[in-house]
Amino acid sequence: MEGMFYNVNGGFVEGIVRGYRNTLLTAQNYSNLTQCETIDDVKLQLGPAYGDTLAALPPNPSTSSLASKTTEKLVADFRYLQAQATGSLAKFMEYLTYGYMIDNVALLITGTLHERDTRELLERCHPLGWFETLPVLCVATNIEELYNSVLIETPLAPYFKGSLSHQDLDELNIEIVRNTLYKNYLEDFYHFVNNHPDMRGTPTAEVMSGVLEFEADRRAINITINSFGTELSKSERQKLYPQFGKLYPEGSLMLSRADDIESVGLAVSGVGDYKSFFDQMNQSGGVGAGNMAGGSANEGKSLEDLFYQKEMELSKLVFTHQFTHAVIYAWVKLREQEIRNITWIAECIAQNQKDRIGNYITVF
Amino acid sequence: MSSGAGREAVFPTRQSLGLMKSKLKGAETGHSLLKRKSEALTKRFREITRRIDEAKRKMGRVMQIAAFSLAEVTYAVGGSNITYQIQESVKSARFRLRTKQENVSGVFLPQFESFSTNDAKDDFGLTGLGKGGQQVQRCRETYRRAVETLVELASLQTAFVTLDEVIKVVNRRVNAIEHVIIPRTENTIKYINSELDEMDREEFYRLKKVSNKKQRDQAATDKELQRQRKKTDGGADDEPPDVLGTQEDDDVIF
Repeated sequence: MEGMFYNVNGGFVEGIVRGYRNTLLTAQNYSNLTQCETIDDVKLQLGPAYGDTLAALPPNPSTSSLASKTTEKLVADFRYLQAQATGSLAKFMEYLTYGYMIDNVALLITGTLHERDTRELLERCHPLGWFETLPVLCVATNIEELYNSVLIETPLAPYFKGSLSHQDLDELNIEIVRNTLYKNYLEDFYHFVNNHPDMRGTPTAEVMSGVLEFEADRRAINITINSFGTELSKSERQKLYPQFGKLYPEGSLMLSRADDIESVGLAVSGVGDYKSFFDQMNQSGGVGAGNMAGGSANEGKSLEDLFYQKEMELSKLVFTHQFTHAVIYAWVKLREQEIRNITWIAECIAQNQKDRIGNYITVF
Repeated sequence: MSSGAGREAVFPTRQSLGLMKSKLKGAETGHSLLKRKSEALTKRFREITRRIDEAKRKMGRVMQIAAFSLAEVTYAVGGSNITYQIQESVKSARFRLRTKQENVSGVFLPQFESFSTNDAKDDFGLTGLGKGGQQVQRCRETYRRAVETLVELASLQTAFVTLDEVIKVVNRRVNAIEHVIIPRTENTIKYINSELDEMDREEFYRLKKVSNKKQRDQAATDKELQRQRKKTDGGADDEPPDVLGTQEDDDVIF
């Protein structure tokens, strides 16, 4: 029943996204890409999927320009969808961009802290996280002004308010600021999809809860593992864990007390998926938890790889649901992974490291 | 030896002969010393060349791995502005250089030694906290090793250039001594010797002449003297006349 009137507002956009999903690169495309000898070949192989966006590239482009062009395509598609979206879907898509906005604002905060000309940084900002009032933030010359501008001008104000003061921006490491913001963002997003009248009780709420919970857990685990050996204290660390997800609250509590990889494994053992990740990692004799730990591709996947793989599988599954906003989220994630895959393959080809080229993640 | 060697402009005296002889001796000692120095330097030079070759190969490998680990970081972090963040969060250099000098047969070769300041804490340990932190750290380690290799290579290269210069100078000196100074000194000695011999012969001849003249003069004076004495003593001085002889007596005229 809940899907009865979905198509009145969201049907067109959903249709387009499903069309976009069909243009995503498949395993066949990827295996063609890995056979390429030069970046030009890669460009040629990407022709059907990316078309005109890559045409402007000079012969033998750098991998970074390739990545930026493919991102451009994603942004253009996203902007098109955004222009079509109305009502709760438009709001939902705005929420999608907040994650990138946080990155951009964090970048500007870094620039302001070190008294750089923040206008130059605008070019480096992620285009998906671009909002009209972003350049206004560059006017601020000190951190207090910046803090006030962020509160007034950006949609991120609720994430700053309550958990960060302008002194915090000065004193805390920018990564902590960023992760605090991201935690607030995830919680808000979670709250939004579960409580908005248009989405409560619909497949959107159900599916988005699933992917957001996974995202929250992934962040919690990553933060824990990456904070080993740094000056981040355990109580500070606990503050960065989003307060929902499959691990919350018992797993998060155990994570906050973890001192090494084993105790992290123990903390997440309550959730079947994560447990199997850690088991796989231990089996393959994974030394580090990082992405592509160890030397060669045959050594098995690392934790971060497994997370990415899982994320992609979840995103793929989202497309089995109908009448939901979540397909857009899933499509963005799949496209991002695709861009990273392309960059990786191009990088491997450019640096002549063909033995690791198979490290991309594909689900189609 | 060589035709162009010529000789030094000295007066061919015994004193300058002594001078030249000591100069020759000095030149020969210097020559052998310099020769040995040049050989020592060349040995060192060859060793350094070999090590540079090794270091360059190593650098190639390490830089490749390092560049690739950067690609891994880009992959893990998703190509966001990780570079800028890292640049901004670094406050002081952790990797520093110390220079010292090594003395190889009188040549001072600069040597670079790398060390890391342990007191400064990890400036960007929290970078990529959400995702990719491990890659960032690993990448940092890889690049650290790459820089270490570069420092080693720089040290060798500097030594290479310095040694090259010094070896050239030393070889030039060795050649100069061997082909110019020694022949010229030898020529000079020969010249002085020949001049001295010439002078000896001249002197001998002159002396002979003088003694001849003296003898002649002596003989002349003797004769004169005899004649005078004959005059005074009636000539019976040196030889009694053979009065019983068959020869006719001089007519005595009074």
